[in-house]
Amino acid sequence: MDVTGILDEHKNRFKSIQVERLVPVEFDLGLMACFDVNMIDEAQLRASQKARDTYLQELSREGAQLMINELFSLPTTVDEDSVYATLPAIRTVLPREKPAPKEKPMTRWEKFAKIKNIQNKKKSRMVYDEEKAEWRPRFGFKGVNNDDQKPWLIEVPGNADPYDDQYKARREEKKERIDKNARRAQRNFEENLAVEKGMKPRDMRKRELQSALVLSKGSTASMGKFDDKLAGEPKVKGLKRKFDPLVKNSDKEKSNNMEILNRVSKGEAKTTSVVNVRKAQRAINNAKRSKKQEK
Amino acid sequence: MRPLTDDETKVFFEKLTKYIGRNIVHLIDRPDEPYCFRLQKDRVYYVSESIMRKTTAIGRQNLISLGVCFGKFTKTGKFRMHITALPSLAQYAKYKVWVKPNGEMPFLYGNHVVKAHIGRVTEDMPEHQGVVIFNMADVPLGFGVSARSTVDMRKVDPTGIAVFHQSDNGEYLREEDALF
Repeated sequence: MDVTGILDEHKNRFKSIQVERLVPVEFDLGLMACFDVNMIDEAQLRASQKARDTYLQELSREGAQLMINELFSLPTTVDEDSVYATLPAIRTVLPREKPAPKEKPMTRWEKFAKIKNIQNKKKSRMVYDEEKAEWRPRFGFKGVNNDDQKPWLIEVPGNADPYDDQYKARREEKKERIDKNARRAQRNFEENLAVEKGMKPRDMRKRELQSALVLSKGSTASMGKFDDKLAGEPKVKGLKRKFDPLVKNSDKEKSNNMEILNRVSKGEAKTTSVVNVRKAQRAINNAKRSKKQEK
Repeated sequence: MRPLTDDETKVFFEKLTKYIGRNIVHLIDRPDEPYCFRLQKDRVYYVSESIMRKTTAIGRQNLISLGVCFGKFTKTGKFRMHITALPSLAQYAKYKVWVKPNGEMPFLYGNHVVKAHIGRVTEDMPEHQGVVIFNMADVPLGFGVSARSTVDMRKVDPTGIAVFHQSDNGEYLREEDALF
Protein backbone atom coordinates (compact mmCIF):
# COMPACT_ATOMS: atom_id res chain seq x y z
CA MET A 1 0.00 0.00 0.00
CA ASP A 2 1.38 3.30 -1.02
CA VAL A 3 0.48 5.74 1.70
CA THR A 4 3.05 8.41 0.81
CA GLY A 5 0.50 10.01 -1.52
CA ILE A 6 -2.06 10.29 1.25
CA LEU A 7 0.54 11.58 3.70
CA ASP A 8 1.74 14.19 1.23
CA GLU A 9 -1.79 15.29 0.61
CA HIS A 10 -2.37 15.60 4.34
CA LYS A 11 0.84 17.58 4.81
CA ASN A 12 0.03 19.97 1.96
CA ARG A 13 -3.32 20.78 3.50
CA PHE A 14 -1.59 22.69 6.31
CA LYS A 15 0.88 25.52 5.92
CA SER A 16 4.57 25.02 6.62
CA ILE A 17 5.84 25.12 10.20
CA GLN A 18 9.20 26.43 9.04
CA VAL A 19 9.21 30.20 8.83
CA GLU A 20 11.94 32.29 7.22
CA ARG A 21 12.74 35.71 8.64
CA LEU A 22 15.57 38.07 7.68
CA VAL A 23 16.11 39.44 11.19
CA PRO A 24 15.79 36.71 13.83
CA VAL A 25 12.74 37.17 16.02
CA GLU A 26 13.34 37.80 19.75
CA PHE A 27 11.39 35.83 22.31
CA ASP A 28 10.37 36.50 25.89
CA LEU A 29 8.76 33.17 26.66
CA GLY A 30 8.12 34.12 30.28
CA LEU A 31 5.55 36.61 28.93
CA MET A 32 4.71 34.38 25.90
CA ALA A 33 5.75 37.26 23.68
CA CYS A 34 7.83 37.51 20.52
CA PHE A 35 9.21 40.73 19.05
CA ASP A 36 9.52 40.81 15.27
CA VAL A 37 11.47 43.80 13.89
CA ASN A 38 11.36 42.78 10.22
CA MET A 39 10.28 45.38 7.67
CA ILE A 40 6.68 45.12 6.45
CA ASP A 41 6.12 45.17 2.68
CA GLU A 42 4.60 48.62 2.08
CA ALA A 43 3.37 47.71 -1.40
CA GLN A 44 1.22 44.97 0.06
CA LEU A 45 -0.21 47.39 2.65
CA ARG A 46 -1.27 49.89 0.01
CA ALA A 47 -2.90 47.23 -2.17
CA SER A 48 -6.62 46.36 -2.14
CA GLN A 49 -8.21 45.58 1.20
CA LYS A 50 -8.45 41.84 0.47
CA ALA A 51 -4.76 41.59 -0.48
CA ARG A 52 -3.79 43.66 2.56
CA ASP A 53 -5.87 41.47 4.88
CA THR A 54 -4.39 38.23 3.53
CA TYR A 55 -0.85 39.66 3.82
CA LEU A 56 -1.37 40.72 7.44
CA GLN A 57 -2.98 37.40 8.30
CA GLU A 58 0.03 35.58 6.81
CA LEU A 59 2.39 37.72 8.91
CA SER A 60 0.48 37.04 12.13
CA ARG A 61 0.23 33.31 11.40
CA GLU A 62 3.98 33.05 10.80
CA GLY A 63 4.75 35.01 13.95
CA ALA A 64 2.47 32.79 16.02
CA GLN A 65 4.01 29.70 14.40
CA LEU A 66 7.52 30.82 15.38
CA MET A 67 6.46 31.34 18.96
CA ILE A 68 4.68 27.99 19.17
CA ASN A 69 7.81 26.31 17.76
CA GLU A 70 9.80 27.85 20.62
CA LEU A 71 7.19 26.93 23.21
CA PHE A 72 7.31 23.31 22.11
CA SER A 73 11.04 23.23 22.67
CA LEU A 74 10.71 24.14 26.38
CA PRO A 75 11.20 21.54 29.14
CA THR A 76 7.93 19.94 30.24
CA THR A 77 6.42 18.57 33.45
CA VAL A 78 3.75 15.90 33.47
CA ASP A 79 0.76 16.22 35.82
CA GLU A 80 -2.10 13.70 36.20
CA ASP A 81 -3.36 13.76 32.62
CA SER A 82 -1.70 16.83 31.13
CA VAL A 83 1.72 17.96 30.01
CA TYR A 84 2.86 21.44 31.03
CA ALA A 85 5.70 23.46 29.57
CA THR A 86 7.70 25.35 32.20
CA LEU A 87 8.08 28.96 31.07
CA PRO A 88 11.43 30.59 31.80
CA ALA A 89 11.78 33.77 33.88
CA ILE A 90 10.51 37.05 32.40
CA ARG A 91 13.25 39.03 30.69
CA THR A 92 11.55 42.31 29.62
CA VAL A 93 11.33 44.85 32.40
CA LEU A 94 7.72 46.04 32.65
CA PRO A 95 7.08 49.59 33.92
CA ARG A 96 5.55 50.15 37.35
CA GLU A 97 1.81 50.02 37.58
CA LYS A 98 1.54 52.35 40.59
CA PRO A 99 3.98 55.04 41.75
CA ALA A 100 6.79 53.95 44.07
CA PRO A 101 6.04 54.26 47.80
CA LYS A 102 7.43 57.33 49.56
CA GLU A 103 10.17 57.06 52.14
CA LYS A 104 8.58 56.89 55.59
CA PRO A 105 10.01 59.47 58.01
CA MET A 106 11.92 58.09 61.01
CA THR A 107 10.26 57.87 64.40
CA ARG A 108 11.93 59.23 67.55
CA TRP A 109 13.15 55.77 68.53
CA GLU A 110 14.55 55.08 65.06
CA LYS A 111 16.52 58.33 65.18
CA PHE A 112 17.88 57.47 68.63
CA ALA A 113 18.76 53.91 67.58
CA LYS A 114 20.62 55.25 64.57
CA ILE A 115 22.75 57.56 66.71
CA LYS A 116 23.54 54.90 69.30
CA ASN A 117 23.90 52.26 66.59
CA ILE A 118 21.40 49.90 68.21
CA GLN A 119 20.53 46.93 66.00
CA ASN A 120 17.08 45.40 65.91
CA LYS A 121 17.34 41.85 67.28
CA LYS A 122 14.83 39.61 65.57
CA LYS A 123 12.74 37.64 68.08
CA SER A 124 10.83 34.44 67.34
CA ARG A 125 7.07 34.34 67.56
CA MET A 126 6.91 31.22 69.76
CA VAL A 127 8.64 30.76 73.11
CA TYR A 128 9.02 27.48 74.99
CA ASP A 129 7.19 27.62 78.31
CA GLU A 130 9.02 25.31 80.80
CA GLU A 131 6.15 25.13 83.29
CA LYS A 132 3.48 24.07 80.86
CA ALA A 133 6.02 22.29 78.62
CA GLU A 134 4.59 23.73 75.43
CA TRP A 135 5.30 26.38 72.84
CA ARG A 136 3.36 29.57 73.37
CA PRO A 137 3.37 32.84 71.45
CA ARG A 138 5.51 35.63 72.84
CA PHE A 139 2.55 38.06 72.78
CA GLY A 140 -1.12 38.10 71.83
CA PHE A 141 -3.80 35.47 72.55
CA LYS A 142 -2.54 32.97 75.17
CA GLY A 143 0.75 34.78 75.02
CA VAL A 144 3.54 34.52 77.56
CA ASN A 145 3.52 38.28 78.20
CA ASN A 146 0.01 38.22 79.75
CA ASP A 147 0.90 35.69 82.46
CA ASP A 148 1.17 38.36 85.12
CA GLN A 149 -2.39 39.60 84.56
CA LYS A 150 -4.34 36.75 86.18
CA PRO A 151 -2.08 34.78 88.54
CA TRP A 152 -3.76 32.80 91.31
CA LEU A 153 -1.84 34.81 93.93
CA ILE A 154 -0.29 38.26 94.05
CA GLU A 155 1.82 39.21 97.06
CA VAL A 156 1.11 42.66 98.48
CA PRO A 157 4.31 44.68 98.22
CA GLY A 158 5.74 46.12 101.44
CA ASN A 159 4.90 49.75 100.82
CA ALA A 160 1.32 49.25 99.57
CA ASP A 161 -1.97 49.65 101.44
CA PRO A 162 -3.14 46.07 102.38
CA TYR A 163 -6.72 46.90 101.31
CA ASP A 164 -5.76 47.86 97.74
CA ASP A 165 -6.82 45.57 94.94
CA GLN A 166 -3.57 44.28 93.45
CA TYR A 167 -5.26 42.69 90.46
CA LYS A 168 -6.81 46.02 89.59
CA ALA A 169 -3.44 47.67 90.02
CA ARG A 170 -1.85 45.22 87.56
CA ARG A 171 -4.63 45.82 85.03
CA GLU A 172 -4.28 49.56 85.30
CA GLU A 173 -0.53 49.41 84.84
CA LYS A 174 -0.99 47.46 81.64
CA LYS A 175 -3.58 49.93 80.39
CA GLU A 176 -1.24 52.79 81.16
CA ARG A 177 1.52 51.14 79.16
CA ILE A 178 -0.80 50.70 76.18
CA ASP A 179 -1.97 54.33 76.38
CA LYS A 180 1.61 55.55 76.66
CA ASN A 181 2.48 53.66 73.51
CA ALA A 182 -0.53 55.12 71.69
CA ARG A 183 0.42 58.63 72.78
CA ARG A 184 3.96 58.15 71.53
CA ALA A 185 2.73 56.89 68.16
CA GLN A 186 0.43 59.91 67.87
CA ARG A 187 3.31 62.22 68.78
CA ASN A 188 5.48 60.65 66.08
CA PHE A 189 2.70 61.12 63.55
CA GLU A 190 2.21 64.78 64.43
CA GLU A 191 5.92 65.52 64.37
CA ASN A 192 6.32 63.97 60.97
CA LEU A 193 3.30 65.86 59.69
CA ALA A 194 4.78 69.13 60.90
CA VAL A 195 8.15 68.38 59.31
CA GLU A 196 6.41 67.51 56.05
CA LYS A 197 4.69 70.89 56.06
CA GLY A 198 7.99 72.60 56.74
CA MET A 199 7.21 73.84 60.26
CA LYS A 200 8.62 72.94 63.62
CA PRO A 201 6.27 70.65 65.59
CA ARG A 202 6.12 73.15 68.45
CA ASP A 203 5.02 75.98 66.15
CA MET A 204 2.38 73.77 64.56
CA ARG A 205 0.96 72.89 67.93
CA LYS A 206 0.89 76.57 68.87
CA ARG A 207 -1.01 77.44 65.70
CA GLU A 208 -3.54 74.70 66.23
CA LEU A 209 -4.12 75.83 69.80
CA GLN A 210 -4.67 79.41 68.70
CA SER A 211 -7.19 78.49 66.02
CA ALA A 212 -9.01 76.23 68.50
CA LEU A 213 -9.11 79.12 70.95
CA VAL A 214 -10.59 81.50 68.40
CA LEU A 215 -13.23 78.97 67.38
CA SER A 216 -14.22 78.23 70.96
CA LYS A 217 -14.59 81.94 71.68
CA GLY A 218 -17.09 82.26 68.88
CA SER A 219 -19.10 79.22 69.96
CA THR A 220 -21.29 81.13 72.39
CA ALA A 221 -24.86 82.17 71.72
CA SER A 222 -23.84 85.70 70.75
CA MET A 223 -20.85 84.56 68.66
CA GLY A 224 -18.38 85.85 71.25
CA LYS A 225 -19.35 89.50 70.88
CA PHE A 226 -20.23 90.17 74.51
CA ASP A 227 -17.75 87.91 76.28
CA ASP A 228 -15.11 89.47 78.51
CA LYS A 229 -11.79 89.61 76.78
CA LEU A 230 -8.65 88.43 78.53
CA ALA A 231 -5.81 90.89 78.92
CA GLY A 232 -3.39 90.77 76.04
CA GLU A 233 -5.61 88.71 73.72
CA PRO A 234 -5.18 89.56 70.06
CA LYS A 235 -8.19 91.02 68.31
CA VAL A 236 -9.65 88.60 65.78
CA LYS A 237 -10.18 90.21 62.40
CA GLY A 238 -13.25 89.14 60.49
CA LEU A 239 -13.96 89.47 56.80
CA LYS A 240 -14.97 92.94 55.73
CA ARG A 241 -17.31 92.98 52.74
CA LYS A 242 -16.79 95.61 50.13
CA PHE A 243 -19.77 96.83 48.13
CA ASP A 244 -19.88 98.91 44.99
CA PRO A 245 -20.68 102.60 45.44
CA LEU A 246 -24.39 103.39 45.46
CA VAL A 247 -24.40 105.78 42.51
CA LYS A 248 -22.31 104.14 39.81
CA ASN A 249 -21.57 105.20 36.29
CA SER A 250 -24.71 103.93 34.53
CA ASP A 251 -22.83 102.65 31.45
CA LYS A 252 -20.48 100.59 33.61
CA GLU A 253 -23.39 99.17 35.53
CA LYS A 254 -25.21 98.33 32.31
CA SER A 255 -22.21 96.58 30.78
CA ASN A 256 -21.59 94.68 34.01
CA ASN A 257 -25.18 93.48 34.05
CA MET A 258 -24.99 92.48 30.41
CA GLU A 259 -21.87 90.42 31.12
CA ILE A 260 -23.56 88.58 33.96
CA LEU A 261 -26.63 88.07 31.78
CA ASN A 262 -24.53 86.51 29.05
CA ARG A 263 -22.95 84.14 31.50
CA VAL A 264 -26.33 83.16 32.89
CA SER A 265 -27.92 82.63 29.45
CA LYS A 266 -25.01 80.48 28.36
CA GLY A 267 -25.54 78.29 31.39
CA GLU A 268 -29.28 78.15 30.77
CA ALA A 269 -28.84 77.28 27.10
CA LYS A 270 -26.63 74.36 28.05
CA THR A 271 -29.16 72.87 30.43
CA THR A 272 -32.46 73.60 28.70
CA SER A 273 -32.15 73.17 24.96
CA VAL A 274 -35.38 71.43 24.14
CA VAL A 275 -35.80 70.44 20.53
CA ASN A 276 -39.34 70.04 19.26
CA VAL A 277 -38.86 66.92 17.17
CA ARG A 278 -42.09 67.30 15.19
CA LYS A 279 -41.27 70.86 14.25
CA ALA A 280 -37.72 69.95 13.24
CA GLN A 281 -38.97 67.06 11.11
CA ARG A 282 -41.54 69.30 9.44
CA ALA A 283 -38.83 71.86 8.65
CA ILE A 284 -36.61 69.17 7.12
CA ASN A 285 -39.51 67.81 5.04
CA ASN A 286 -40.41 71.29 3.79
CA ALA A 287 -36.81 71.93 2.78
CA LYS A 288 -36.67 68.62 0.90
CA ARG A 289 -39.99 69.31 -0.82
CA SER A 290 -38.92 72.80 -1.90
CA LYS A 291 -35.65 71.37 -3.25
CA LYS A 292 -37.58 68.76 -5.26
CA GLN A 293 -39.93 71.44 -6.61
CA GLU A 294 -36.96 73.54 -7.73
CA LYS A 295 -35.69 70.59 -9.76
CA MET B 1 -29.65 100.63 49.97
CA ARG B 2 -26.84 99.25 47.88
CA PRO B 3 -26.31 97.82 44.41
CA LEU B 4 -26.28 94.03 44.07
CA THR B 5 -22.98 92.15 44.17
CA ASP B 6 -22.02 89.97 41.23
CA ASP B 7 -23.12 86.77 42.95
CA GLU B 8 -26.47 88.25 43.93
CA THR B 9 -27.00 89.55 40.39
CA LYS B 10 -26.25 86.11 39.04
CA VAL B 11 -28.80 84.42 41.28
CA PHE B 12 -31.36 87.11 40.47
CA PHE B 13 -30.85 86.86 36.72
CA GLU B 14 -31.01 83.09 36.81
CA LYS B 15 -34.45 83.35 38.39
CA LEU B 16 -35.56 85.99 35.91
CA THR B 17 -34.37 84.05 32.86
CA LYS B 18 -36.70 81.24 33.90
CA TYR B 19 -39.62 83.57 33.13
CA ILE B 20 -38.43 86.05 30.53
CA GLY B 21 -35.28 84.51 29.06
CA ARG B 22 -33.03 86.86 27.21
CA ASN B 23 -35.57 89.67 27.38
CA ILE B 24 -33.84 90.84 30.55
CA VAL B 25 -31.86 92.96 28.09
CA HIS B 26 -34.94 95.15 27.73
CA LEU B 27 -34.99 95.67 31.47
CA ILE B 28 -31.32 96.55 31.69
CA ASP B 29 -31.06 98.53 28.48
CA ARG B 30 -34.05 100.81 28.23
CA PRO B 31 -34.41 103.36 25.43
CA ASP B 32 -36.10 106.08 27.51
CA GLU B 33 -34.23 106.22 30.80
CA PRO B 34 -31.54 104.15 32.49
CA TYR B 35 -33.01 101.93 35.19
CA CYS B 36 -31.08 100.04 37.83
CA PHE B 37 -31.52 97.35 40.49
CA ARG B 38 -30.91 98.25 44.08
CA LEU B 39 -31.03 96.17 47.24
CA GLN B 40 -32.67 97.48 50.40
CA LYS B 41 -33.08 95.10 53.36
CA ASP B 42 -32.76 91.97 51.18
CA ARG B 43 -35.38 93.17 48.69
CA VAL B 44 -34.51 93.91 45.07
CA TYR B 45 -36.03 97.10 43.65
CA TYR B 46 -36.14 98.13 40.00
CA VAL B 47 -35.96 101.90 39.89
CA SER B 48 -35.04 104.63 37.44
CA GLU B 49 -31.68 106.18 38.04
CA SER B 50 -32.93 109.71 38.60
CA ILE B 51 -35.32 108.57 41.34
CA MET B 52 -32.57 106.41 42.85
CA ARG B 53 -30.27 109.41 43.13
CA LYS B 54 -32.96 111.35 44.92
CA THR B 55 -33.52 108.43 47.29
CA THR B 56 -29.98 108.65 48.60
CA ALA B 57 -31.22 111.51 50.74
CA ILE B 58 -33.54 109.24 52.73
CA GLY B 59 -32.05 107.36 55.66
CA ARG B 60 -31.92 103.60 55.81
CA GLN B 61 -34.41 103.26 58.65
CA ASN B 62 -36.84 105.61 56.95
CA LEU B 63 -36.79 104.13 53.46
CA ILE B 64 -39.58 101.60 52.96
CA SER B 65 -39.66 101.04 49.24
CA LEU B 66 -38.56 102.53 45.95
CA GLY B 67 -39.49 101.81 42.35
CA VAL B 68 -40.84 98.30 41.76
CA CYS B 69 -40.02 95.48 44.16
CA PHE B 70 -39.11 92.39 42.16
CA GLY B 71 -38.63 90.08 45.07
CA LYS B 72 -36.38 89.35 47.97
CA PHE B 73 -33.36 87.28 48.89
CA THR B 74 -33.95 84.67 51.54
CA LYS B 75 -31.58 84.04 54.46
CA THR B 76 -29.89 81.22 52.53
CA GLY B 77 -29.26 83.42 49.49
CA LYS B 78 -32.03 82.20 47.21
CA PHE B 79 -34.17 84.69 45.34
CA ARG B 80 -37.95 84.66 45.69
CA MET B 81 -40.03 86.56 43.17
CA HIS B 82 -42.98 88.59 44.42
CA ILE B 83 -46.29 89.41 42.71
CA THR B 84 -45.19 93.05 42.37
CA ALA B 85 -42.86 91.96 39.58
CA LEU B 86 -45.78 90.81 37.45
CA PRO B 87 -46.13 93.83 35.10
CA SER B 88 -42.50 93.52 33.94
CA LEU B 89 -42.72 89.75 33.68
CA ALA B 90 -45.97 89.85 31.73
CA GLN B 91 -44.49 92.26 29.20
CA TYR B 92 -41.53 90.08 28.35
CA ALA B 93 -42.76 86.59 29.21
CA LYS B 94 -41.44 83.72 27.08
CA TYR B 95 -44.20 81.22 27.83
CA LYS B 96 -47.80 82.26 28.48
CA VAL B 97 -50.90 80.42 29.56
CA TRP B 98 -54.40 81.82 29.05
CA VAL B 99 -57.03 80.75 31.54
CA LYS B 100 -60.77 80.40 30.87
CA PRO B 101 -63.20 82.62 32.78
CA ASN B 102 -64.30 79.76 35.04
CA GLY B 103 -60.68 79.05 35.96
CA GLU B 104 -59.73 82.57 36.96
CA MET B 105 -61.16 82.54 40.47
CA PRO B 106 -59.58 79.27 41.64
CA PHE B 107 -56.22 80.52 40.51
CA LEU B 108 -56.67 83.90 42.17
CA TYR B 109 -57.42 82.12 45.43
CA GLY B 110 -54.06 80.40 45.27
CA ASN B 111 -54.80 77.01 43.69
CA HIS B 112 -52.86 75.39 40.89
CA VAL B 113 -54.20 75.69 37.35
CA VAL B 114 -56.00 72.58 36.22
CA LYS B 115 -56.00 71.41 32.59
CA ALA B 116 -59.74 71.93 32.28
CA HIS B 117 -59.31 75.65 32.98
CA ILE B 118 -56.66 76.25 30.36
CA GLY B 119 -57.78 78.14 27.29
CA ARG B 120 -54.56 78.56 25.35
CA VAL B 121 -50.88 77.74 25.81
CA THR B 122 -47.83 78.89 23.87
CA GLU B 123 -46.48 75.99 21.87
CA ASP B 124 -43.17 74.24 22.62
CA MET B 125 -43.36 74.91 26.28
CA PRO B 126 -41.00 72.52 28.10
CA GLU B 127 -41.67 71.04 31.52
CA HIS B 128 -40.87 72.99 34.71
CA GLN B 129 -40.51 76.28 32.92
CA GLY B 130 -41.59 79.65 34.30
CA VAL B 131 -44.90 80.78 32.81
CA VAL B 132 -47.06 83.89 33.18
CA ILE B 133 -50.79 83.33 33.46
CA PHE B 134 -53.26 85.60 31.68
CA ASN B 135 -57.01 85.65 31.55
CA MET B 136 -58.87 85.63 28.23
CA ALA B 137 -58.79 89.44 28.09
CA ASP B 138 -54.99 89.40 28.23
CA VAL B 139 -54.84 90.70 31.77
CA PRO B 140 -51.92 89.15 33.68
CA LEU B 141 -53.12 87.23 36.72
CA GLY B 142 -49.93 85.79 38.12
CA PHE B 143 -47.06 83.46 37.38
CA GLY B 144 -46.11 79.86 37.99
CA VAL B 145 -44.17 76.85 36.77
CA SER B 146 -45.40 74.53 34.04
CA ALA B 147 -46.18 71.03 35.28
CA ARG B 148 -45.92 69.43 31.84
CA SER B 149 -44.71 70.30 28.39
CA THR B 150 -47.28 71.34 25.77
CA VAL B 151 -46.98 67.96 24.09
CA ASP B 152 -47.55 65.99 27.28
CA MET B 153 -50.46 68.18 28.25
CA ARG B 154 -52.74 66.48 25.73
CA LYS B 155 -52.26 63.13 27.42
CA VAL B 156 -53.27 64.35 30.88
CA ASP B 157 -56.85 63.98 32.08
CA PRO B 158 -58.80 67.26 32.58
CA THR B 159 -58.38 67.29 36.35
CA GLY B 160 -54.61 67.04 36.18
CA ILE B 161 -52.49 70.00 37.21
CA ALA B 162 -51.11 71.93 34.26
CA VAL B 163 -49.38 74.85 35.95
CA PHE B 164 -48.07 75.05 39.51
CA HIS B 165 -49.16 78.26 41.21
CA GLN B 166 -46.37 80.51 42.45
CA SER B 167 -47.86 83.96 42.75
CA ASP B 168 -51.20 85.56 41.85
CA ASN B 169 -52.89 88.92 42.07
CA GLY B 170 -54.90 87.79 45.08
CA GLU B 171 -51.73 88.03 47.13
CA TYR B 172 -52.11 91.77 47.26
CA LEU B 173 -54.97 91.11 49.64
CA ARG B 174 -53.88 87.87 51.26
CA GLU B 175 -50.27 88.76 51.97
CA GLU B 176 -50.62 92.47 52.56
CA ASP B 177 -48.20 92.52 55.50
CA ALA B 178 -45.53 90.48 53.70
CA LEU B 179 -45.40 92.81 50.72
CA PHE B 180 -43.58 95.48 52.71
